[in-house]
Amino acid sequence: MKAKTIVVGVIIVGFIIFGAYSFLQSNVEYTNFPQAERSGKKVQVAGNWVKDRDSYFDPKTDSFVFYMKDTDDNTMKVVLDGAKPNNFEIATGVVVKGKCENGAFHATEALTKCPSKYEAKSIKEMKAS
Amino acid sequence: MAGTWAVRIAFAAALFSSVAYYMTLRAKKAEWARAARLSFLVAAAGVILASAMLLIDILTHQFQYTYVWSYSSTDLSTPLLISTFYAGQEGSFLLWALYTAIIGLVLMSYSRKKGIELQVMTVFALVQAVLLLLVVVKNPFEYVWQSFAGEAQAGSVPENGRGLNPLLQNFWMVIHPPILFTGFAAMSVPFAFAVAGLWRREYQAWITSAAPWMLFAVVTLGAGIMLGGYWAYETLGWGGYWGWDPVENSSFIPWLFAVGAVHTMLAQRKTGRYIRSTFVLSILGFLLVLYSTFLTRSGVLGETSVHSFGEPGMGVYALLVGLIVLFTAIGFIAYFNRVKEIPKPAGQRSYWSREFMLYLGAMILIALGLYVLVGTSAPLITGFFQPKPSAVDISFYPKGAVPLSIIMSLLIAISQLIWWQRSEPKVVVRSMIYPAGAAVLATVALLPFGLNQIAPILVVFGAFFGLFANLVAGYRIFRGNPRYVGGALAHIGVGVMLLGFVGSSQYDTKQTISLPQGETVEALGYKLTYLGNHPIEGEKFAFDVKVEREGKSYTLAPVMFYSEYNKGIMRNPDIAMRATYDFYIEPQSLEQPQQSDPGTQLVLKKGETKEVAGYRVTFVDFQVDRSAMMAGDPMGTRMPPISAKLLVERAGKSETVVPSFKILQGGNAEAVPAWTADRAGEFQILTLQPDREKPEKSSVTLAVRTGAQPAPSQTRETLIIEASVKPFVGFVWLGTLVLICGVIVSIIRRAKEARQQ
Repeated sequence: MKAKTIVVGVIIVGFIIFGAYSFLQSNVEYTNFPQAERSGKKVQVAGNWVKDRDSYFDPKTDSFVFYMKDTDDNTMKVVLDGAKPNNFEIATGVVVKGKCENGAFHATEALTKCPSKYEAKSIKEMKAS
Repeated sequence: MAGTWAVRIAFAAALFSSVAYYMTLRAKKAEWARAARLSFLVAAAGVILASAMLLIDILTHQFQYTYVWSYSSTDLSTPLLISTFYAGQEGSFLLWALYTAIIGLVLMSYSRKKGIELQVMTVFALVQAVLLLLVVVKNPFEYVWQSFAGEAQAGSVPENGRGLNPLLQNFWMVIHPPILFTGFAAMSVPFAFAVAGLWRREYQAWITSAAPWMLFAVVTLGAGIMLGGYWAYETLGWGGYWGWDPVENSSFIPWLFAVGAVHTMLAQRKTGRYIRSTFVLSILGFLLVLYSTFLTRSGVLGETSVHSFGEPGMGVYALLVGLIVLFTAIGFIAYFNRVKEIPKPAGQRSYWSREFMLYLGAMILIALGLYVLVGTSAPLITGFFQPKPSAVDISFYPKGAVPLSIIMSLLIAISQLIWWQRSEPKVVVRSMIYPAGAAVLATVALLPFGLNQIAPILVVFGAFFGLFANLVAGYRIFRGNPRYVGGALAHIGVGVMLLGFVGSSQYDTKQTISLPQGETVEALGYKLTYLGNHPIEGEKFAFDVKVEREGKSYTLAPVMFYSEYNKGIMRNPDIAMRATYDFYIEPQSLEQPQQSDPGTQLVLKKGETKEVAGYRVTFVDFQVDRSAMMAGDPMGTRMPPISAKLLVERAGKSETVVPSFKILQGGNAEAVPAWTADRAGEFQILTLQPDREKPEKSSVTLAVRTGAQPAPSQTRETLIIEASVKPFVGFVWLGTLVLICGVIVSIIRRAKEARQQ
């Protein structure tokens, strides 16, 4: 009975440690560009697209390049894998996930936050559009 | 108005029914039982009536109701109109309540025959009441003037609704949510049986009664989940069938617990063991349905997921939390009050027994469920430690799912080869030789095809082992009694699915490719040529990509279109489905040629001729694409595609050049330049000034570029795609179908057993 309890306990504790470890590893924290540059870890940065700097699709690397200002007003060049994200022009904010490499933020994923679109705020808006 | 009251009356009746059932037990008077049954019938009638009214309101376009106005419009086909019933939160809660009511009607007579009606229905009517309370709070019968007080006048009816999100406008929307919600509703039945079992101190009998219901929940929830996956894969172009998204996880977690419960139920039936686990899993399965609903419906994940959940308001948030607390209390107070009384079976437990393997299998499923649960709840957990909550990266999920599915597949194999109660280790090992040997051979045979990493090798071996063991066992069972083949069949399906998972996720090769129009690009062993695009269904554009491989060629046509509803570009992939792999093309964007040379500007009235850069240019007339005009105004602009017919003369040679304004993305008109035949001169429209009343006054502003001939690839439009080869993805669907068939066979068997009880 004792031996059984120990075995079961070890398995459960082991699984919990494993789960906690991979959770911490996979938890992609929010930060700003200077911190992302220092740590070099995979992070998320929230901010806005700097519309007056140039943005373009680079067919050589198949990536979309733009400049982004984080919530602490640090601007950095972002190289996003793939094409320009949906709703990029009308987004009220952009969140990029990735890491800093060679002075640019290399993003694997970008999330655009849009003005509430599924829930009607006002019936007048609807009539106007 | 009548709908609102139907829901309110149904809520009151369901609540009263629960109380009356409880009072029957307390006061032991038959009048209470009659009142309880009658009021449950009233509640069910109320829900059915309210649902019918909502459906009629939708079909007859009663846009004075905010819900109807929010999700439907006059241009939807009838099946899609019906599907707007559950397009929003209010309607999906009503649908859930409706299914619960229908199940409740069946359950009332079913539990009465088993003599456990009073306890079962006390709990079940309470579930019904609480779901209806959600519909009372999130009322689909609210008028627009109530929702938008001060903006809309009382009694005013909007002309048309906002319409259904184009993402949802397809066949899958018609069938996926109803099946999923049937599963959600069915999960409350085993919960009610478990609580009734504890209440009545009948710790064994309830399991036989609950088993077919649990299997029914497993098959409906499972089919719903995989339909959602197929939808994402085939239409939405998420690149895969499973993205570990909170919405997907939130139905997957309760499903895992339900499957776990099915296994402990079977062990209990054969040996009388694992009763406590069965209680806990049956209770947890239902609580997790509620918790998942809370995660996806309360707005707590709003900041961290791609899905838009909307803001339901504090009322629903508090209500959902209250709901979870209430049923957790009911389930676990009942359990902990009785846990010491639950009988422990006599005799030594053997680890070399099928029931122990089933138990281990259930525990692995639960471990996976908890692992996914923790990951999905990350925004709640990290909110305590970080200034801003964040979600886990999806790489978190396979880290746990892969090792657990290896163990699971081994258990799937072993439990078919081992006997109940006690087996001789030697006999078990001997019976494993053939299936294990065949699995080794099959795995080794795949090694030359790139199977070279340890984790996938183990999963593939496990999947083959489970598959072969169940094929052998299934064949034997089938010859004995075909009705008992459900378990083996389901596990064959799981083995096939696992092979599909490994192939399609681990050996998926993916590449973003730029395809300049007319230029052949080689990628992933395919020759791809973007031929051009053409409009389909009026407002959408299909992008023809010629695919060549090993001398065979075919055309795939992924679709992109601008959606005014979403204010963005919608993309639908196109897939070449083959027996052993899928070739998948997902469109990303269409890049217009970059122009650095501004060229010479030229303003021309209709019929006017001017000379520029050595060309005599005459503006003949505008040409309007009538077909696009017929389709109405899908782009949200007031302008159909338009082009300018130009007569261009140089050195005595004249030709017609037609640059155009193409309306494709973002509702913006984009200028598509046209060239002279020798590509020496390029003409691009800068602005148009059409004059409807005096067409002769219409004019066009052109940019004319000559001289340096730009490289063709820079002057043509370029389609950006993400192409991928997904090996064995078809096995996922095939495995799912086999699994579903297996569970259905099991339901028939267990329902018969429950009847004979």
